[in-house]
Amino acid sequence: MVVLASPLLRIDRLTKRYPGVTALDGLTIELPRGLVGLVGANGAGKTTMFRMLLGISKPTEGSIEVCGIDVAKDPIGVRSRLGYMPEHDCLPLDQTAADVVSTFGELSGLPARAARQRASDILDLVGLDEARFRPIGGFSTGMRQRTKLAQALVGDPELVLLDEPTAGLDPLGREEMLALVARLGTFGISVIMATHLLDDVQQVCDHVVMIDAGRLVVSGGTDSLLERTGLVTVDVGVRGDELVAGLVLVGLAAVAEDGLVEVTVEGNHQMDLLRDVIAERGLPLYRLSTRLTSLDEVFLRLAGTQS
Amino acid sequence: MSMAGAGAVYDRGYRPYDGPRGRRGAATFALYKASIRRALGLRRTWRQKFAPFVLLGIVTIPAVVNVGIGYVTRDRLDNKIEIITYRNYVGVSSALLLFVALVAPDVMCPDRRQKVLPLMFARPLTGVDYVIAKVGAIGSILFAFSFLPQVVLFVGNMLVSDSAGKYFTGHLDILWRVPVTVLMLAAFYAVVGVAIGSLTDRRIVAGSAVIGLLLITSIASSVMVGEIVNGHGSIAALVNVLSLPLYLRDLVFLGHIDPTSPLAGVSNGGLFAVATYVAILLVGVGVLLQRYRWVEH
Repeated sequence: MVVLASPLLRIDRLTKRYPGVTALDGLTIELPRGLVGLVGANGAGKTTMFRMLLGISKPTEGSIEVCGIDVAKDPIGVRSRLGYMPEHDCLPLDQTAADVVSTFGELSGLPARAARQRASDILDLVGLDEARFRPIGGFSTGMRQRTKLAQALVGDPELVLLDEPTAGLDPLGREEMLALVARLGTFGISVIMATHLLDDVQQVCDHVVMIDAGRLVVSGGTDSLLERTGLVTVDVGVRGDELVAGLVLVGLAAVAEDGLVEVTVEGNHQMDLLRDVIAERGLPLYRLSTRLTSLDEVFLRLAGTQS
Repeated sequence: MSMAGAGAVYDRGYRPYDGPRGRRGAATFALYKASIRRALGLRRTWRQKFAPFVLLGIVTIPAVVNVGIGYVTRDRLDNKIEIITYRNYVGVSSALLLFVALVAPDVMCPDRRQKVLPLMFARPLTGVDYVIAKVGAIGSILFAFSFLPQVVLFVGNMLVSDSAGKYFTGHLDILWRVPVTVLMLAAFYAVVGVAIGSLTDRRIVAGSAVIGLLLITSIASSVMVGEIVNGHGSIAALVNVLSLPLYLRDLVFLGHIDPTSPLAGVSNGGLFAVATYVAILLVGVGVLLQRYRWVEH
C-alpha cells in the first residue's frame, strides 16, 4: 500500500496582485487528498488560483506546494502530476476526440502507443466510446465537457483541477458529470473543483474551501460545515395536516409545506413527543430527517460576517 | 441460470498508468509531431492533405523533367542538357514561402483562437518548448520539401550519367552544400511564418501578412534597386525578404554574391546579407519568445 504522506495542497500567504486589483490576498490553506470544492462567486480568484497551482502564473507573494512539490521550484514536476479542465471552450473543433485526447496524453509525457490506449480507455470511462472518432465540432456541450474531462485524466494525474465542470450543462448532464467527478475519488485521484454552484460541492466534495474577493472565508470538511438547524422534516404522505394538528396539541411548532411537515425540535424529549404523535395516530412514516444548513447559507453567513 | 454468451456490459473502470513517463523533451516532441500532422493534413480530410502534397509534387517536377531529359538524351549528346542546377533548385524551393503562408497560420492560429494554449501549458511544457516545437515542425517540413526534390535530382542524374560512381565522387560538394542552404532557407521561412502566425488568431490575416510581406518587400526592393548597370546592384536588395536566403545560398555555392543578382557589386554585400539574415531570424525568434513569455510569468 502506498502511503501518501504529503497533503494534497499547502498554500502559505498566497497573494496575487494585478495593477489595480488584488486577485488573491494572503490565502493560507492546507488541503487533504480527496474531493475538494473551491467555492466563490465569479471573480473570487478561483481561476487565478488554478493558474498559480499550474505554475503558469507566479504569485506576488507566498508559496504553493502541490503533492509535496514546490510550484515555484519545479513547475514542470507539478504539471506532470496535474490534470486541468478549464471552464471555457478549449478544444480543437476540427479534430476527433480520440486524436485530441491521445495528443494530450503524449503531451503529458506518455509514449504514443500508451497515450492512444489510454485515450480509448478514458473516453470509454467518460461515456464517449462511440463518439470518439467524430470531430469535436459536432459535439453537444455535454460531450465537449466530457472530452475536456477526458483530456485532463489521460495523463493519469494525482490531482485534477476542474474549473466549473457543470457549466452550461442541462440537469441530466450535470448529474452525470457530478457522478463522474465523484467516481474519480474512488480511483484514488484527488480533485479540486472550482464552482460557484454550492449544490454541486455539497453533492460531491468531502472538503470545502470558500473564498470571497481573494480572501479565505472558510476551509473545512463539508459535513462539519453543514450545521444542524433544529428543524426536523417529516414525510407522512397525504396526512401532513393531521400530523401538524397532533403536534400542536402536544405543544410542538410545526408547519406543513410542499407535502412535508417541518417541526421545530429541541432536545430528545421533544423528539420522543414527535415519535409518539406519529405512532398514536398510526401515520405512515416515509421519511424523518434532521434538516441541515445548506452550503449557500454557510457561505452567505460567513462571507457576510467577514465583509 | 446464467446467460453466459448472451453478451454483457462491462465497466472497465479506471486503470492507473505505471509505465515510463517523459518530461519536457517528450512533451515538446509530442507537440512537434502533432504540428507536423496538422501541417500535412494527416488524420484530417483529403482537402487538408491536398495543398501540401500538390506543392511537393510541383517543386519536384523540375527534378523529374531534368532527369527525364538526361535519360532520353543519354546516348545522343556529349554535353548533357541541364535545365536546372542544384544551386538554382534552391531558388525554386523559395516558392515554398507560399506553403508557409498557408500552413504556418494553420499550425499557430487555432491554438489561440480555440483557446487550446491553457491546456497545452497545463502539461510539462514551457513557452520556449512550444516555440521550438512549432518552428521545428514547419522548418522540418520545409527542409524535407526542399531537400527531397534535390535528392531526386541527384540520384536521377547519377543514374543517367555514364558512370554513377564518377558522378557521385565528382559532386561530393553537393552533398553538404545542398543540405546547408536548404536548412538556412527552411529555418528562415519557418521563423518568419511562425512569428507572423503568432501575432494573430486569424489564419486569413496571418496568411495574408506572410504573402504581403513577400510582395511588398519584393516590390520595394525592385523599385529601390532599379536597373542593374554594369553589375552594380544596391544594398536595398536586402529589403527583399523572399530572396534574402538566396544570397546566402550563393555564398555557400559560389563563395561570393552572384554577379547577376541585385546585390552584385555592393561592397561587403555577402556580409550584409548574412547580418540581415541573422537579424531577421533573431527578431522572429524574439517575437515568438515574447508572445509565449506569459507561460513562465
